[in-house]
Amino acid sequence: MGKYTLIITEKPDAAQRIASALNEKGKAKKTEDNGVPYYVAQRDKEIVVVPALGHLYTVAEERKGRNYYPVFNFRWVPRYTAERGAKQIRTWIETISKLANEANVFVDACDYDIEGSVIGYCILKYACGNKENISKRMKYSTLTKEELEKSYTELLPHLDFALIEAGGTRHEIDWLYGVNLSRALTISARNWSGKYATLSTGRVQGPTLKFIVTREKSIRSFVPAPYWEVKAEVKISRSVFEAEYEKDKIEIKNEADTLLNECKGKNGQVEKIDVRRFQQKPPVPFDLGTLQREAYGLFGYAPRRTSYIAQRLYLEALISYPRTSSQKLPREINYDAILEKLSEVPKYKKLAAELLAKPELKPKEGKKKDPAHPAIYPTGKLPERGLDDSEKKVLDLVVRRFMAVFSEPAIKQSIKVHINVNGHRFYLRGRQTLKEGWLHFYGPYVRSEEVLLPPIEEGQTIKVKKVILEDKFTKPPPRYNPSSILNKMEEAGIGTKATRANIIQTLYNRKYVRDERMAVTHLGFEVLEVLEKYCPAVVSIKLTSELEERMDKIQASSEKRENVLVDAVEILKPVIEELKDKEKIIGEQLSNAIKRARLEERIIGACPICGTGKLMIIYSRKTGKRFIGCTNYFKGKCEASFPLPQKGSVRLRGRNCRGCGWPTVQARIKGKRPWALCFNPDCPLKKERKKKIEMRNMQ
Amino acid sequence: MKCVICSREADKKGYCELHMKAYESIVKKYDVWKKALETSWKEYLSEIVKNSLTGELAKEVAEYLIRGGEKQSVTQS
Repeated sequence: MGKYTLIITEKPDAAQRIASALNEKGKAKKTEDNGVPYYVAQRDKEIVVVPALGHLYTVAEERKGRNYYPVFNFRWVPRYTAERGAKQIRTWIETISKLANEANVFVDACDYDIEGSVIGYCILKYACGNKENISKRMKYSTLTKEELEKSYTELLPHLDFALIEAGGTRHEIDWLYGVNLSRALTISARNWSGKYATLSTGRVQGPTLKFIVTREKSIRSFVPAPYWEVKAEVKISRSVFEAEYEKDKIEIKNEADTLLNECKGKNGQVEKIDVRRFQQKPPVPFDLGTLQREAYGLFGYAPRRTSYIAQRLYLEALISYPRTSSQKLPREINYDAILEKLSEVPKYKKLAAELLAKPELKPKEGKKKDPAHPAIYPTGKLPERGLDDSEKKVLDLVVRRFMAVFSEPAIKQSIKVHINVNGHRFYLRGRQTLKEGWLHFYGPYVRSEEVLLPPIEEGQTIKVKKVILEDKFTKPPPRYNPSSILNKMEEAGIGTKATRANIIQTLYNRKYVRDERMAVTHLGFEVLEVLEKYCPAVVSIKLTSELEERMDKIQASSEKRENVLVDAVEILKPVIEELKDKEKIIGEQLSNAIKRARLEERIIGACPICGTGKLMIIYSRKTGKRFIGCTNYFKGKCEASFPLPQKGSVRLRGRNCRGCGWPTVQARIKGKRPWALCFNPDCPLKKERKKKIEMRNMQ
Repeated sequence: MKCVICSREADKKGYCELHMKAYESIVKKYDVWKKALETSWKEYLSEIVKNSLTGELAKEVAEYLIRGGEKQSVTQS
């Protein structure tokens, strides 16, 4: 090979797509060096496309070792030198360096965002030998052949250094916060108890945990208040409807009882009918956050899962770049061309044709912008492989949303019938869609109920079948779920679209929260208490979002990296000193919390034998064997105990047996599929299974 | 000083920060219950202990108060 152009991509799939799009003779040739794939394409000159594996370089301390803090001196190093389990990165960097030696033109084709820019910059600087200043940049939002070719022929003359600087600073500050605070917590606990447990917090993780803990405290100290709701069952033209009393809450029982007595056995009269027509505007295009929220609401996918699915669809060139904050669809993406491609798919054919028949296509756009990418949209390309169910669902959602934004508003009608029952006013409400508009395109994902009322006239007498008084209580605020906490983080301006979902997952991994409706564990409470008590600055939402704003300003070249870094360290230094100073007391508090958390982990559920104790996994001191026992055993109240498999691992399943309702565990043995174990010896499902086996053996 | 309910550090009232918040919530909501049902302080406490919507910290405080944890009822007046 002579001198060639070296293109660097963020992931192997993107490398293959770019190489094939640029190769004049179809699919590009794949070559491997030490297991590292790269692609050779022929165009006006030879092009070699080599992928990274996400970040190949990371921030690390200058002095080796993990058992000390504070750490303020850092540098960028290959990931394999700083992280366990990143050995593969070494061969990757060696291959890229080798390929760089024979190249005379360098192109960074990593994703055009903060992370992608840092990945490309580090590779060009460190692996390719200071080629960052001569490198050109490919900018694209989809991996379609047309856009990739255009992006290659219209290369940006240099890297986006402001974006790189912003990304680099974010990594450095996050590393400084994360490593110092996490080590302070972990080392304090280990020094006190002599046992190791990973505890972590970070610049965004701490404030996020604070949101959840604050909500949890409100829920746990919540006291419900009584109130009453009155409804009237009315019969109109043989159908029964429910009319609600004009006050949605009656706060005094006597008042509610009087109302009930006065309405009992009386008929009503229609006083007035309010008819209101209104428009329901189409939704705005998806940015990552709104896609994650919609997928959670519709399919129950956690934000991180949606993010992965969307990334896979992007790498298959089926949708545009998903890590975007934009809710705009610029004309340049060519609406008509996308819809024409979509019309080749039978289920979208009619819908796409309806839009294409419009004299002009104008999307309803949202306020949010992203300088690097448009909102998420489908490319119209057909999948080259069979998509799995979740991919199909998210793709369909993106396609339908894309079509919906070009459609007309829906026209709805609401009817409010005022019914007077012995001087008390009740409302009967109806809802109806008069013109579907965008709902026609977004159909399967629309959540609205139609209530059609029969013809009613003012002055009409209405038969009241029954008046119902319902006892109610106010409810505690709902727990956050992965989608609502993501929303909260977005609103508060903490984290980035690329990091928020992972931060939420870390809270689960560290066992600070559990369950889909995020409940804070004892450990989560204690960690936040320590942070609030000894270093309130690091959990301050205001401070965190201010720092975010300043980092964004670096991207806009209106703030200097050095200033932001120095200020961040200035905040961090006294915090770490305080933590160091109080290491013993913090260590004790956290160690106790870890001990309790480990105990909590072994509790399986309520004891079905005594009803008051809890079943937990116990290890016999004598034999070392494990079994399930009741916590009331130690009080001499319950002797329930059940055997467990001694091989492999056993952990909580969080679900009860569908046969007997007892709590169950999940057993796992290497090489076998994990199975749910009900330890109730009299479980009807077990008996049924046993019978079946016996019958089979008899046959 | 330890919290009268858990082993956390307590303030002058004898509750830790978490149980104090629950205690305040109990006292505050009593006015609503009294107006709604003309209920007594004791009846109120036993009602909220039984209610599944009551938070666990509030339940712990209410149970403590029922056991006579407080020498005189705060809101009887």
